[in-house]
Amino acid sequence: MAARNVLLVDDDPIFREAVTAVLETRYRVRTASNGAEALAAVAQELPDIVILDVMMDHLSEGFDVARELRTGDATRGVRIVMLTGVDQVYNMRMEIEESWVPYDRYLEKPVAPAKLLATIDELLA
Amino acid sequence: MNNQLGLGVFAAELHERLLWFTRLRWWAIVGLLAGAWLGPLIGFPPEWSRLAAVAAFSLAANLYFRSSLARRGDQPRAFGALQRSALLQMCTDLAALLVAVHITGGLESPLTVFFVFHMAIGTIMIAAELMYLIALGTSWCILCLLIMEAKGLVAHHAIDPGGSMSGRVSGLSMLALTAALFGTVYLTDSVARRFRRRTVQLHERTIELDQKKAALEDACDTMKRLEERKSKFMLLSAHQLRSPLGTVRTSLDVLAEGYVDPGSERGRRLIEGSVERVDGLLAIVNDLLELAKLREGAKRAPWAPRVNVAQLVVDVTDALTTVAEARGITLEANADPVAVLEWGIPPDLVFAIENLIQNAIKYSRSGGRVSVDLTVSDGVARLAVADQGIGIPADFVSTLFTEFARAQNARRHTAEGTGLGLAIVQEVVAAHHGAVSVVSHENVGSTFTVTLPLARRESPVTTV
Repeated sequence: MAARNVLLVDDDPIFREAVTAVLETRYRVRTASNGAEALAAVAQELPDIVILDVMMDHLSEGFDVARELRTGDATRGVRIVMLTGVDQVYNMRMEIEESWVPYDRYLEKPVAPAKLLATIDELLA
Repeated sequence: MNNQLGLGVFAAELHERLLWFTRLRWWAIVGLLAGAWLGPLIGFPPEWSRLAAVAAFSLAANLYFRSSLARRGDQPRAFGALQRSALLQMCTDLAALLVAVHITGGLESPLTVFFVFHMAIGTIMIAAELMYLIALGTSWCILCLLIMEAKGLVAHHAIDPGGSMSGRVSGLSMLALTAALFGTVYLTDSVARRFRRRTVQLHERTIELDQKKAALEDACDTMKRLEERKSKFMLLSAHQLRSPLGTVRTSLDVLAEGYVDPGSERGRRLIEGSVERVDGLLAIVNDLLELAKLREGAKRAPWAPRVNVAQLVVDVTDALTTVAEARGITLEANADPVAVLEWGIPPDLVFAIENLIQNAIKYSRSGGRVSVDLTVSDGVARLAVADQGIGIPADFVSTLFTEFARAQNARRHTAEGTGLGLAIVQEVVAAHHGAVSVVSHENVGSTFTVTLPLARRESPVTTV
């Protein structure tokens, strides 16, 4: 079976570099630094899973991408992991996150590499 | 309202009325004595001299009332005791009046009108239920007197047994009636006046309370808004710190757990990047401290007299020239040497000037020009820092001075920046009673203008 295809979306290049190093041990990794790049990468090749930061150029960019993926016919099946420094309670309170939650897992930064890998494996199993 | 307090007000008023009542009684006693002495002299029956006995009784009673009221004066709140005193005075008076009426002709007596007058006084001082009983009792007593006189059980002293005194009887009746009329008007007027005054006071107090209530609600709203802002700010601060911390932690994990060799090219990038993030975190923490100190007011760099803003601008500009040149940006400064503040905090002003010029350099493109102009007019120093940089999106200008506000194009342009600089600038300028504003066009440039009044209105010691 070909290596699973993971798309990592985060605006911090060092974070992308570090997480890429972890993900590369098991998957094929592509990266994007904002929502537009992420959607372009998805259009180019459908990933199995997308790891999304929330706050990038604007507050809810990660959620916007997640919604976009969930509403597209081709992209509906893509697994989505939110990986962000912003906690969920705060998102709800600031009304950044809507009640309709389009992601599969929500992880808060920092996440231990082993846990990140376990989460992805579980979703792709 | 506190019941005790309310009774206190009523008691004080009742005490005052009772004193007035005892003063009035002196005149009644004088009247009785006059009747006892003059009555028989001008032809009324000789029994009138017995009015002197009634006068003596009233005099003794009144002396007692006065002394007991003087004692009560120390404790004006003894409302019950005062009411009992009022009742006692009323009954004593009515008994004396009944005797005086009996002496001066029974129902024909000109004094009967004073029964009416007493009912008026009584109703003001004594509970209404009791007064109805007293009115009933009084009519019964008068009726009994009449019956007893008619049955001959007691003597009837006709006011004009000879039938030759009708003129004098009428005169006396008129005198008594007039006294009762004026007494009643005086009494009612004093009560009504008090009511009117109290109504006005109540109305004024209501308006005053409404205003106070509105002011309190305003203050409460402001506090609530501040509290909300504060907690929002704290959440935002925590998140601003957590993201770079997440990066650092993840980088360290990756290096420690062997995903990346620290000696490799990638390892080196992760280490350098982490150091950068830590520096950024330190900058945020420092700026947060700076902002907190500014908002706390006082207990920071001391106010200094005669602060030469022109010199500060020149110093800051000189220091930043190399930074600008390194980025291919021309930095020009023109400072009016008259720009001297009566009082100022030099380190804070330097921070603000530095921040504005650094921003201008940071958001300029290579080959751009940053001009710093300091002018003085109408007692106000005006510092304008203009760049030809990326500008500020129009919809972002309103939030520009709030903490952690960084426009999308600013983030894209440069990673550095804590998002706190302009919030600090605003605090510094506000502490100096100045104002800061911005005019900007995206991709054309921004001009930040700070105005600082040269003269301070208050002493810097008391206001920060």
